[in-house]
Amino acid sequence: MDLDLSAPHSLGTTIIGVTYDGGVVLGADSRTSTGMYVANRASDKITQLTDNVYICRSGSAADSQVISDYVRYFLHQHTIQLGQPSTVKVAANLVRLLSYQNKNMLQMGIIVGGWDKYEGGQIYSVPLGGTILKQPFAIGGSGSSYLYGFFDQAWKEGMSKDEAEKLVVKAVSLAIARDGASGGVVRTVTINADGVTKNFYSGDSLPLWHEELEPHNSLLDILSSSSPEPMST
Amino acid sequence: MERLAIHHANGMEMVAVKDSAISENGTERTLYPYVTGTSVIGMKYKDGVILAADMGGSYGSTLRYKSVERIKHIGKHSLLGASGEISDFQEILRYLDELILYDNMWDDGNSLGPKEVHNYLTRVMYNRRNKFNPLWNSLVLGGVKNGQKYLGMVGMIGTHFEDNHVATGFGNHLARPILRAEWREDLSFEEAVKLLEKCLLVLLYRDRSAINKFQIAKITDEGVTISQPYALKTYWGFSAFQNPSKGAEGSW
Repeated sequence: MDLDLSAPHSLGTTIIGVTYDGGVVLGADSRTSTGMYVANRASDKITQLTDNVYICRSGSAADSQVISDYVRYFLHQHTIQLGQPSTVKVAANLVRLLSYQNKNMLQMGIIVGGWDKYEGGQIYSVPLGGTILKQPFAIGGSGSSYLYGFFDQAWKEGMSKDEAEKLVVKAVSLAIARDGASGGVVRTVTINADGVTKNFYSGDSLPLWHEELEPHNSLLDILSSSSPEPMST
Repeated sequence: MERLAIHHANGMEMVAVKDSAISENGTERTLYPYVTGTSVIGMKYKDGVILAADMGGSYGSTLRYKSVERIKHIGKHSLLGASGEISDFQEILRYLDELILYDNMWDDGNSLGPKEVHNYLTRVMYNRRNKFNPLWNSLVLGGVKNGQKYLGMVGMIGTHFEDNHVATGFGNHLARPILRAEWREDLSFEEAVKLLEKCLLVLLYRDRSAINKFQIAKITDEGVTISQPYALKTYWGFSAFQNPSKGAEGSW
């Protein structure tokens, strides 16, 4: 049951997409697991489709990679034929089309986020089955179970870019604390009229939550610094 | 599983298997674990035996409990670390409590050493396995008595052995290769802690159910000490981690 290396690679994951006044912030953890083994502790789950549209992938790593490759290919052709950058809505609907028409074979949940000149920042959710839903914010992946209550309380309309990014990092970090299938670093991608900014928040720079402790290099440092009563019997 | 024998008219016996968890007399069996602890690692060093484990109690894929003590001392001479179902570990601690109590009541100056406790646990685990009602744990038993160091393991089906270094669960795959390469007979306490922490860090990176909160316990002729809970620094500064899908959009 423990090291099943033939188990399919799965992005047991936490993914988030949030709109703010002027654009979107996408966030994700970085853990890819094969059964209980962490196959990749620093994966990049936020994938580029075009200059202005990115997606967050969850579920089967293979399925989400292949679908994103197809959609990138179709969007590239579409951009050439259209003569201008494609809209977020078109990108999201292409994802939906492939998800829906292959629903029996695919196991993936996608959050599409981007910015275009017509509608500004938009987030679309494309869960299992191929439903498409436009939302002010979206959460997905196994870690999202732990965030429904958090977002019900913490989400506000009309946040600034910094507020939105802080919210995303806080949320992913909370999910990582409780979801065994999420972990590693927090990656964010911010998309607006000015372009795309990618950020990276490493494991030890994330805040500590309940029952989490300040990290040290070794127990020996703790023992040598506080002599009186470090150990109990 | 109980087998119900059904006799056919022509004398052939068909056997059906009843898979109920609650048998007639109302007792229950562990069919699968619910709240579980992950790896325990242990090794002998110069002055005694040292064990380490994290403090996580997972509930499926949820990291539900984060202050579970999975290493406990048994009498004066032994340390017990457990992975697997926490309720079964707590039951084992009750059995051992009674064992030690009766041992103390003899008041004869003798006390059960680690080898005896290990043997007792082996018999308990094996007998439960024979009744198809296992205690769902992998146990690490370490101790020192009269200068003799002892380190053994017992699994949920009764498999048991002694060695210079042991590990349960994921530790078998990730920690033991490190221990095989770097363990020596004459490790000092500091070297032993550093070696264990090397293993604990790999487990933290690569085991989904590991959490960043550990306890290290040592036992020598002088007695038992279990450290306070502490966390380790993790490293994420590889340049490849910054932008892994550069040049290969859509990869991981």
